[in-house]
This record gives sequence, C-alpha cells and structure tokens, in this order.
Amino acid sequence: MKKKKVQIAWLYPDLMSTYGDRGNVIVLQKRCEWRGIEARIVPVTLETPTSDLESCDIIFMGGAQDRQQKLAGEDFLKRKGPVVKKMVEADVPALFVCAAYQFVGRYYKPYQGEPIPGAGIWDLVTEHPGDQAKRLIGNTTAEIINPPELAGTIIVGFENHGGYTTLGPKMKPLARVIRGGGNNGRDGYEGATYKNTIGSYFHGPLLPKNPVIADWLISKVVGPLQALDDAMEHHANEVLRAHV
Amino acid sequence: MGILDRVTIIVGKLVSWVSSTFHLGAGATWPGEIALILRPDVASSFARQFRKGIILIAGTNGKTTTSLMIKTVLEERGDAVVLNDTGANLLNGIVSSCIRRSDWSGQLFADVGIFEVDENSLPIVLRYMIPKRIVLLNLFRDQLDRYGEVDVIVEKWERALTKLSKDTQVILNSDDPGVASLAKSVKGKVIYFGINDRTKFLPAAEHATDSTFCPNCGARLVYDGIFFSHLGIWHCPRCDNTRPKPDVSVWPNPLPGLYNQYNTLAAVATVTSFPIPVSEVAASIAQFKPAFGRQEEIMMDGRKIKLFLSKNPAGFNASLRTVIEKKAKHFLLALNDRIPDGRDVSWIWDVDFETIPKDAIVTVSGDRLYDLALRLKYAGIDLKRLDVESTLLIAVTDALSKVPKGKTLYVLPTYSAMLDIREILTGRKIL
Repeated sequence: MKKKKVQIAWLYPDLMSTYGDRGNVIVLQKRCEWRGIEARIVPVTLETPTSDLESCDIIFMGGAQDRQQKLAGEDFLKRKGPVVKKMVEADVPALFVCAAYQFVGRYYKPYQGEPIPGAGIWDLVTEHPGDQAKRLIGNTTAEIINPPELAGTIIVGFENHGGYTTLGPKMKPLARVIRGGGNNGRDGYEGATYKNTIGSYFHGPLLPKNPVIADWLISKVVGPLQALDDAMEHHANEVLRAHV
Repeated sequence: MGILDRVTIIVGKLVSWVSSTFHLGAGATWPGEIALILRPDVASSFARQFRKGIILIAGTNGKTTTSLMIKTVLEERGDAVVLNDTGANLLNGIVSSCIRRSDWSGQLFADVGIFEVDENSLPIVLRYMIPKRIVLLNLFRDQLDRYGEVDVIVEKWERALTKLSKDTQVILNSDDPGVASLAKSVKGKVIYFGINDRTKFLPAAEHATDSTFCPNCGARLVYDGIFFSHLGIWHCPRCDNTRPKPDVSVWPNPLPGLYNQYNTLAAVATVTSFPIPVSEVAASIAQFKPAFGRQEEIMMDGRKIKLFLSKNPAGFNASLRTVIEKKAKHFLLALNDRIPDGRDVSWIWDVDFETIPKDAIVTVSGDRLYDLALRLKYAGIDLKRLDVESTLLIAVTDALSKVPKGKTLYVLPTYSAMLDIREILTGRKIL
C-alpha cells in the first residue's frame, strides 16, 4: 500500500456542484474509509490557495450552471487550471463530470458568439450545435472500453447536456453508448480517459452506481484494494439498466 | 364574453364532465388545455371577471400551502374565491379551475382568483392577466431537466415583472437573495417578508445552496446566518446590495417547520396588504389546515401517519429537519422518477440523509428505491436495518406494522409517490 491517507480535492463545491455531484465525493471518501484508509475532502474554491490543491491525491470537479461557471471560470483558467494540468500530467487521478468535462477541454463554442476558451488540460472540444439541435437528456447506459482493466463494465447514469463533445487524438473514449446520446449523439462514445483521469457526462451521480470507477481512481493512489460488499451498488445499477 | 368564448366554455365544461364522469383523472388540466386551443383569449376573459382581482403565487417550494392560507383568510371574510388544483399550475390548470367554477355562459361570480403558478409559466400567465398581487416565495434547484437553471428563472421573472404597471404589488422573500433582488424590476409597491429571529439560524450551512453569490456583482455573499438552504440574513461585501428589511417578519406559525413560517409570513404579507385587519387574519390562520400531502395526518389502527411531501433537496432537508426535531423514529421514504417528480434522481445526493438518527427504522420504496437505499448506505444507515420494498402497498403495510400503537410513521415521498401513498391510505388520490 502506497498511502495511508487520501486527500480528495473537490473543486468549486459551492459553484460547480449541480445535482448530486456531492455524491461522487462522498463515494470516494466512504470507499476509502470502509477499507481503513483515512480520507479527507478538501474544498477548493475561489479563495483557496493553489497549495491546498497541490497537496491533494485525487481531484474531482462537477457540473455547473452558467452563471456559476462564469464565476469559477476566471479562477480556474488563471489559477487552479494550470495546477490541475500539472497534476494530471504527473499521473494524479481525477474525475471531471458534465461542465467540468467540457471545461478541461480546449474550448466550448456556444450556438452564437465566440468560442469560450477551456483550460486545455485535455485534448477535446465542445460545440453547441444550434438551438434546433437535440439536447441530450435522459437515463443512459454504456459499456466501458477504457481504461482496459475496466473494459466490459456496464455503467449507468443520467445525462443532460446541450454541448456536443469531440475527442482529440490524445484522448481515449471511456465507454461505448448502449442507450442515450453520450459525447455527441453521433460517434457512439461516452466520456473520455487520459492518463489516470476520467471524464463523463453521466451524473446520477456517476460513482455510486458505478463503483468500479471510484475504486480505479482510489487504487491509483493507494495501490490494489480489498473488495467491498457492493451488492446494493450492483443491484441499483442492474435495476436502472432495465429501467432505461 | 363573446359568442366564441361561450362556445369554448361549453366545450370545456363538457370535457370536464366527461373527465370526471369516466374518472379519466385529467379534469384539472384538459378542459383548460382544449379551451385554450380553441380560444387563447378565454384566459383573459375569465381573468377580467374577478371583482377584487387576482393573486399569483410562484416559487419552488410552498406554493400550495401559501395559496391555501390566503384562500382561508379571504373566504373567512366572505369572498368567493377560485383556486387552481395543486399541481395544475400551468395556464391550462388556471383556466380549468375557472371553467369548472363558471356557469354555462362563462360567468364566474367570483371575487378573487388565487392561482399558484409554475416557475416557468409565470411569464406566460402574465400575458393573459394583470394580477393585483404577485407572491414570489423562493427559488431552489428543482428538476433541472425540466425547469432549467435557477438563474434562468430569475431572468425570466425579471423580464416579466418589468412589463407590469404600478398597479401590481409584489410580495418578495427578503431572505432569498435572488428573489429579493427582483425588486428592481417592479414598478409597483414591494412588500418584503422574512425572518429576523437569529435564534433560528442553522448551526452550520446545509449543502444545497443555490444562490450564495450576489445577483448584482457576482461577489460571494456574506451571511450573518442561514435559516435553511440559501435563505438567511445576507449582504454583499462588494456592492451595496443587502437583504431588505422585511415588512412582515413575525407571525405565529400554525404548522411545524421553519419553511412553513416563510409560507405563513408570505400569506400574511399578502392579505394584510389589501388591507385586512390583523385580528381577522390571526383568527383565520390559527385554524389553518394543511394541504393534502403537506404534513397531512392520517390515523390508522391507532397509529399516526404524517405525510411530508419532499420533492427537491431544499424541501427534503426542511422535512427531515422538522421530523427529526419531532424525534421521528419510523420513516418511510419513497422516490419516484416520473414526469411530475423529475426523471433525474441525482438530487438525492444533495439531501442530508446523514441527519437521520442511527437507531431509526427506515423503509424505502418507489420506482427508484435502490438509488435511495444506496444513498442511505453511504449516509451511514445500516442496510441490515433497512427495509427495501418495491411494492408501495407492501412498503406502507410493512412500515406501519413496525410502528407501536400511539406512535407516528413519518412518510417523506416525492410528488407522484405521495399521490400513490394517499390512495393506499385513504382510497383517494386527492382529497
């Protein structure tokens, strides 16, 4: 075991936490604690010094409403984003959901107006295809293809996004869509992976019903993990698959 | 009423009759929907007939209770009131309630229309009627897949309020920064309600906070304290935006729960503005009975069942806080994901289920019971003590069987689950 204590950075919990994002953080923390690993959640927001972020072992960043994302935007692009980029390149595990998934990319191009620059941590772009285009919304299922050690796992969630995301050559898709829209409703992929980081449009939130992703992130910090009794997690996953 | 209006009303009344005779269960919306297709102006024709005017109530939580309180006071004074059915709070629901109430020629013979209005529908409804009062209660995140973002609703409301003349008075919650800041868009008188009692502050902020940034300048708001969610005594450290002093801040709360204190203050601020003497208001509100599913009590086999509709994080936290203060021991939680509940159940992770006492006896049910069970697992509830039952009827029976005689089962359901549980308990979906 590499580490006895895990620090989970939760980026902008007061700005980028839309619909249950807290669940992802709770799951990371509890699944450490249930294995006897001490886990601490470190809220990282506008006023937090970047040194607090740098000392963390796992990064999580979630969805946001437009106004809140604008408020977080400047701070992330100028201050926290470059630190996250450095950490991601240094193999720190991270999870980016919804707005964060778009925001770590190169840009977001709205339906009208100029593209909004992203943090450029990941090689992907998001474009809004116009006000007549379908918003991708509803319960979803997909089969993981990357990282290879999780391939074949069926993940479930709820997507709700207007932006269509396209992955660049440095990225690998997280999953192949079974039901739902996924990244863009066209290429059949959902989410992305890069080094030890994962991005997804799935909320629900993502980790409770898909605990293998949580364990994969934790294992990147502490090494191989003992199994937990995930009967309820699997049951919730399977019931939703039938429900979609 | 022109001849076309009259024909429309006859058709609407027939739809209403067919719907109720054959128990189609759409009587609260379909007559209005069809009438509006035939003749959109029918809404204005009805609206003009209210002798003393119309009161609109909007906000995420508390619409039904506040509307009923206002109705109770006005009816006590002898006013003839038309109220839309709870949940039927789009334009079609308002028109349906008028069709049901009118005679065959479309005459209403009513003094006041009290209509609760869906957040998104307020601008649409205002195209058809000029209310005497608009009550704006609060804005919490609720069904993002259906309503969109809270800020988008604030913008819609701003645009709609700007179009009104000074004849419409607006009653605003001073403790909700987004709602209070709507005052700048109002030409008429603004009346604020809010809580001043600092002993009611929460010890620590709850998680579900929506509006903690200044609506004017975007700086993080400073709170002296929070009553619940993002409602509290606030000011902006950067610009001069600050919580307005409430005009109405004290009134005996006839129902448990601080959120009902807000509903009561809103209702009192509204009726006293007409004006109605305080002594009359006090007598009416003291005897107020809750709306169905809202802290409604049902007795069964010597056990009490209390229903607390809990449909979004702020509402669920408020319900939990209220029942835990009452030392609740037996819980039935029911989570559905049908259209009226919202398809996305992610929001349960924003609810502080961690506050449920560890010795509580909990049953979970509803369409998404495993999501709820999983949430409770991560909130520290022992799964061995948790009863997970997919059939609502069995869940209700099981949960009740564990309650000793003389004790109370607290039921916290989402909207459609609440209707189903009421039907199981009373044989009727709606009183």
